[in-house]
Amino acid sequence: MTINRRQFIKANAVAAAAAVAGVTIPATASNLITSSDITKLKWDKAACRFCGTGCSVNVGVMDGKVVATHGDIKSPVNKGLSCVKGYFLSKIMYGKDRLTTPLLRMTNGKYDKEGEFTPVSWDKAFDIMAEKAKAALKKDGPKAVGMFGSGQWTVQEGYAALKLMKAGFRTNNIDPNARHCMASAVGGFMRTFGIDEPMGCYDDLEAADAFVLWGSNMAEMHPILWTRLTDRRLSAPHVKVAVLSTFEHRSFDLADNGMIFTPQTDLAILNYIAHYIIETGRVNKDFVNKHTNFRLGETDIGYGLRPEHPLEQKAKNNGKTAGSSTPIDFDEYAKFVSTYTLEYTSKLSGVPEHKLEALAELYADPKIKVTSFWTMGFNQHTRGVWANNLVYNIHLLTGKISTPGNSPFSLTGQPSACGTAREVGTFSHRLPADMVVSNPKHRAIAEKIWDLPEGTIPATPGYHAVLQNRMLKDGKLNFYWVQCNNNMQAAANINEEAYPGYRNPKNFIVVSDPYPTVTAQAADLILPTAMWVEKEGVYGNAERRTQSWYQMVEAPKGAKSDLWQLVEFSKRFKVEDVWSEELIAKKPSVRGKTLFDVLYKTASLEKFALDEIPEDRLNDESRDFGFYIQKGLFEEYASFGRGHAHDLAPYDRYHQERGLRWPVVNGKETKWRFKEGSDPYVKPGSGWDFYGKKDGRAIIFALPYEPAAESPDEEYDLWLSTGRVLEHWHSGSMTQRVPELYKAMPDALVYMHPDDAKARNMRRGDLVKLISRRGEVQTRVETRGRNKPPRGLVFMPWFDASRLVNKVTLDATDPLSKETDYKKCAIKIVKV
Amino acid sequence: MTDNSKNITSEYHVASLIAYCILTEVEKVKLAITNIERTEIHAINEQGKIVFTIEGTSHKDIGKKMDIIRVHSGILNLSPVYHQVLDESADNDAIE
Repeated sequence: MTINRRQFIKANAVAAAAAVAGVTIPATASNLITSSDITKLKWDKAACRFCGTGCSVNVGVMDGKVVATHGDIKSPVNKGLSCVKGYFLSKIMYGKDRLTTPLLRMTNGKYDKEGEFTPVSWDKAFDIMAEKAKAALKKDGPKAVGMFGSGQWTVQEGYAALKLMKAGFRTNNIDPNARHCMASAVGGFMRTFGIDEPMGCYDDLEAADAFVLWGSNMAEMHPILWTRLTDRRLSAPHVKVAVLSTFEHRSFDLADNGMIFTPQTDLAILNYIAHYIIETGRVNKDFVNKHTNFRLGETDIGYGLRPEHPLEQKAKNNGKTAGSSTPIDFDEYAKFVSTYTLEYTSKLSGVPEHKLEALAELYADPKIKVTSFWTMGFNQHTRGVWANNLVYNIHLLTGKISTPGNSPFSLTGQPSACGTAREVGTFSHRLPADMVVSNPKHRAIAEKIWDLPEGTIPATPGYHAVLQNRMLKDGKLNFYWVQCNNNMQAAANINEEAYPGYRNPKNFIVVSDPYPTVTAQAADLILPTAMWVEKEGVYGNAERRTQSWYQMVEAPKGAKSDLWQLVEFSKRFKVEDVWSEELIAKKPSVRGKTLFDVLYKTASLEKFALDEIPEDRLNDESRDFGFYIQKGLFEEYASFGRGHAHDLAPYDRYHQERGLRWPVVNGKETKWRFKEGSDPYVKPGSGWDFYGKKDGRAIIFALPYEPAAESPDEEYDLWLSTGRVLEHWHSGSMTQRVPELYKAMPDALVYMHPDDAKARNMRRGDLVKLISRRGEVQTRVETRGRNKPPRGLVFMPWFDASRLVNKVTLDATDPLSKETDYKKCAIKIVKV
Repeated sequence: MTDNSKNITSEYHVASLIAYCILTEVEKVKLAITNIERTEIHAINEQGKIVFTIEGTSHKDIGKKMDIIRVHSGILNLSPVYHQVLDESADNDAIE
């Protein structure tokens, strides 16, 4: 048969799509997708750079450049599909304004905070960084230095950063941007189960009879999972989909029961469902008696604002006891939730009674397997940990947990929020494998693995993300390094609480990024960064799946990976520069060594030699440092979790697999945790075992509805909710550079109800100002389109750097998780 | 925003996609797809999945066509699967 190249690649394209769709085609081409001899492409697998779904993509490289991508048909996650962001993945690295040299603010050849960005060498960049870090350490000690990292860091990068900050600089002032995204989910897991991350997995999508979306617009934010959910709904007619949100969005297209509720009243709806289950006699008593405890949580816990804020002055329990609770029994719990009657909840939430009942019945009916999904609607919530606890209550009361299709499932926003932020423990209070700095035993374990003297890791949690901005503004955090995120766009209340800290003359701010983001432009020094397949790495997705990829192309000359930057910078510090004499005396062998020697060029890491890297593979960092650093860091990190229910496979295996879900025990991944038969850690004969808690029992929490930090009033008469859109990844620093994505969604508009627009004498396309007590932002009105808010609420996405909606948002946080509530504040809108 | 688009006429692009349709709207979606230049439907199944390809001369060209189809009210979800670029400036030989 003779075909030309066009016919050949078209046949490949058709075969790929047909295989993914499960559709038969009369095609002659099959299994031709990676025939590199003909296409001249070198194909390799990688985890997608974008969301927490963790799709695997095949990356086609030609002449040192990524020229093609397609969904990896061998991936159990995306089964060959890709979303529109993943589809254009290859282009994120080739924006015209890609940074290739460090840039320092200078005047007349010298560093000047008010100077212009000027190209400098890496040497010069590290000189000034080291000088500023040492000065801050000398003046005010380790509390004066800090770092803001990312759920987009690779596992190895996050682990290297954790070591540098917590052991090297001896500060816990390191936090990831996952604080804005997943911290409430972490708090919920730890509080209810004593161990982090979902018990279920994506296989629940094909097993459930009903799906409930709580504050999650999966259609836009997790399109691949949405495709699998759509597939399930269309191929099994009995399957029902319920969607709850404060405004109508794309996920409502598939909803059998779509519900718009008044912001914050999700707490009441969750309690109503628990009440309904009890009232209708559908509690799974056997499960509840064997596997749960009941506790009454502390209330009136404040809103995580600055202590002088009137709301904090008023709150009774916003101190250290905010997360405390006392034991109660089932009857006391039943009495507690009995307040949340159908009538009361319907009135409070604005959801019609029949819709609430239909929702509650999905959970109550023992024959229906239910999967609950949630994302930022729950997590970015001043009672985010509570919302997570309350949804677990429902699944625990009915025993609908840890079995196929029965799954309370917290979805993740970033590709490695689970892997790097949570599992590695790059939070200000954490260490790897769910350990915390405040526990002396945990610190001792880390110090032993790191071969460091006792007392190296400080015991007090450091500044979390929101507090870091406040401390920068107050001049208490003076050397600050931001990697792999765009917090000047992402943080709430930018005008009052973010920008002033970056420009505070007392502070030196370093931002590492591939592109000149808003955050980079607010910095004093910008470091150009390699991205995605320009380096080797590992990501961990929302279903506990760990995936690796090799470096496939060279970064643009001058750009260096975050890992290289962290490790190379460590060479600038002698132990004597950063540790006290008292600490050094406990381990005199470190005297005179650099942090590079003590933290990275160690026996534990160095034993993985360069010859373990396949010869035809690129690996800039390892060849620079002289050993296989990614493998060394991974294996050392994995030693924290092995044998402790966080087991990872040997590093090399991840290069062969499309990821594995931890715990990986005896070479086998775990799909459903806490259930006998599917989780090797469950005690035989127990049925279920929530082994994160000492007694193996999960906790059902009695927690009330409490109002939002700020609600509309006469002057600021609208709720503002912010969020993401399909086409753009978070702040848009990568996707805004892909012309096709920019064109599809060029500017952030404010979506509002046509009647709200009319009442303000506004029309679609009018230029308007959104004004809050904190600032204002200008944009245009959209009364049609994919998002349809109810009257009284507007929605504006935050991807647009030219229209920073976070100038108006409020920096109220969940006092337990310290995660900001981006979904609720009061604004007014006026015509310009 | 940086516009990186280049009008390289020597490029041949092909993309394959799956449209997940509301069953009663399949005919309308089919028409919407085939109304666009250089699209081809290859298969449809009883669950409302349409497998089709788009050919074009640039990323932008393909993206534009995808945008037109994506917003159709009969489509629940549009999933791109495969995308490849062929630089035809060098050769376009027939292969065995």
